[in-house]
Amino acid sequence: MAEPALDIRDLRFAHPGGRFRLEVPAYRLEAGEQALLAGGSGRGKSTLLSLIAGLREPESGSIDVAGVRMTALAGAARDRARGRAVGMIFQTFNLLHGFTAAENVMAGLMFGSMPAAEHPARAAALLASVGIAEIDAPVDRLSVGQQQRVAVARALAARPALVLADEPTASLDPDNAASAMDLIQRACREAGAALLCTSHDPSMRSRFARVDDVGAFARQDER
Amino acid sequence: MNAKALTDTQIVIRSLQARPLSTWVTVAMVATGVGLLLVLLGMRSAARDAFERGSGNTHLLVSADPSPLVAVLNGIFYANAPANPISWAKYQQIRGSFPWLWAIPTQQGDSYRGYPTMATSAEFLTKFEPIAGEPWQLAEGQLFERPFEIVLGAAAAKGSGLRLGQEIFLTHGSGASREGGDDHAGHVHLEFPFTVVGILEPTGSAHDRALFIDLESSWILHAFDRREREGLHGAIGPADLTDADRLITGILLRLPTRPGSDASAAMQQQFDTLRRDTSIVVAQPADQIRRLFAIVSNVDGLFIAMAAVVLVSSAVGVMLALYNSMAARTRQVAVLRVLGASQGRIFGMVVTESLMIGFLGAAAGIVVAMVGGIAAAAWLRSSLGLVIDPGLDVRETIIVLGGTVALSALAGVLPAWRAYHVPVAESLRPTA
Repeated sequence: MAEPALDIRDLRFAHPGGRFRLEVPAYRLEAGEQALLAGGSGRGKSTLLSLIAGLREPESGSIDVAGVRMTALAGAARDRARGRAVGMIFQTFNLLHGFTAAENVMAGLMFGSMPAAEHPARAAALLASVGIAEIDAPVDRLSVGQQQRVAVARALAARPALVLADEPTASLDPDNAASAMDLIQRACREAGAALLCTSHDPSMRSRFARVDDVGAFARQDER
Repeated sequence: MNAKALTDTQIVIRSLQARPLSTWVTVAMVATGVGLLLVLLGMRSAARDAFERGSGNTHLLVSADPSPLVAVLNGIFYANAPANPISWAKYQQIRGSFPWLWAIPTQQGDSYRGYPTMATSAEFLTKFEPIAGEPWQLAEGQLFERPFEIVLGAAAAKGSGLRLGQEIFLTHGSGASREGGDDHAGHVHLEFPFTVVGILEPTGSAHDRALFIDLESSWILHAFDRREREGLHGAIGPADLTDADRLITGILLRLPTRPGSDASAAMQQQFDTLRRDTSIVVAQPADQIRRLFAIVSNVDGLFIAMAAVVLVSSAVGVMLALYNSMAARTRQVAVLRVLGASQGRIFGMVVTESLMIGFLGAAAGIVVAMVGGIAAAAWLRSSLGLVIDPGLDVRETIIVLGGTVALSALAGVLPAWRAYHVPVAESLRPTA
């Protein structure tokens, strides 16, 4: 049986601002599974994603991504593991400005294990799969929708086991949000990557077979 | 598609390109410091070489100037025309006091278009060597043989555009006088045309700026002026010269030496003997040049220290520019971290960026120094007649280049430290 894409056990984390505490006794996402982490703003969804990505240190507990215990790694080893196993999509895309679409996708490859000679072809194929033809255009010249497609391609570049999408449609109108989610879900499915998507938008629930509420893990800090 | 993978270096280069004003200003600051330092280092050694070379094979210089140093600056480097004359009788007395290898009288005071004239004996061009071991060479024509013939130093010929056979009139005085018209300069000796009979090869000494005539011609010019003042008009010849006309301003002396040696055992004794005569000063040119450089070396060191300060302050400028740019680049750093870049790799990128600025600045500074060196050499040649090699010392250049790159890399440490500590999760939040 394949390793789960995500396996969280006994995770505890106190938000530095004292706004809330996260306590996740167990959370598992199978390979290729897609789940929505729902909940209102400021409830800890983004914080949980950053913990999974190894961008924050939990107080205790463990997080395994594709069989790699992220919480046991530190420093450069954890950065490398994140680069290989986790793809991230952000609300504001967080593309590298001044770089082309292809270069943005290749940025998602340069810290991984794929030989550099294969990067251009991989980037071109990914951008084609998300419908971007102007791969040498600076991302600043692309439309918002095109920028999001580049961001999706970049998240999938290193063939991650898990894609974390943090409010990917929060800044889009309903029509564009729907097509963006279509793209993200289809791309992850085709790539065989599990998807954990956060959103405070109730209309997103219907797109996912599995919906978890962050409220189950977070509680307001009494301090 | 650009078929190359993205590399750390490309990211660094794009970062520099993304803020062109800041990048080029900091590069220019580094270039200024490096250029200044290299020019000063280069000019220091080149000027010393040129001065030391310029004293030629003279052992002693006798003059009536106020001090030996002034005597050397005037008599060999044409800084000014010596103000005080030496009588011909004194010259003969000195000449007869010792079996000199040669004793060459010189007289300065006139000029042509700012180029000083040296009235002297034929020995000046046949026995005196402007560069020790390198006698004068004629580029064109011949040496003066008769009165009112003139031989041009290479720089004077080039600067004035004079050619063989042309007739010119000398100006009384050594300033930037011109023929006719300029009331503030000395008057022009319009009664006595000189014919250009020879042009000398460049020697790399101050003498290249001079024009050479025989002593008698110069005496006649000034005797004519004297007679005009006395109301005596008409033609004048050698027979009309009096002892008061036969004046010189310097004597170049060389003592006999052993073959293959430039030193003379009798030098110190003759030097001391001549020094006892209070009507003259006697100088050992090489010694005076060393003293001159001992005096200016403090100023010289100050300039080099200032250039070093400029270099260090440019490194501080690099640091500030990079450090401030980090505020606007936290998101880029955070994105790279999310994509898998380690803190160490981010640190390395920022230091590389600083190092690139340093390298670009140092490279530009070397070009600036080369151009500046050529310009300074041209100025020294035209104004002082000093021929210096404007080329940069390879060893010094490599040291300055390496030092600048190292200094720049060091300047990148603080901004790199800031990038190292960028809070990734917080920096990726959507902005309003």
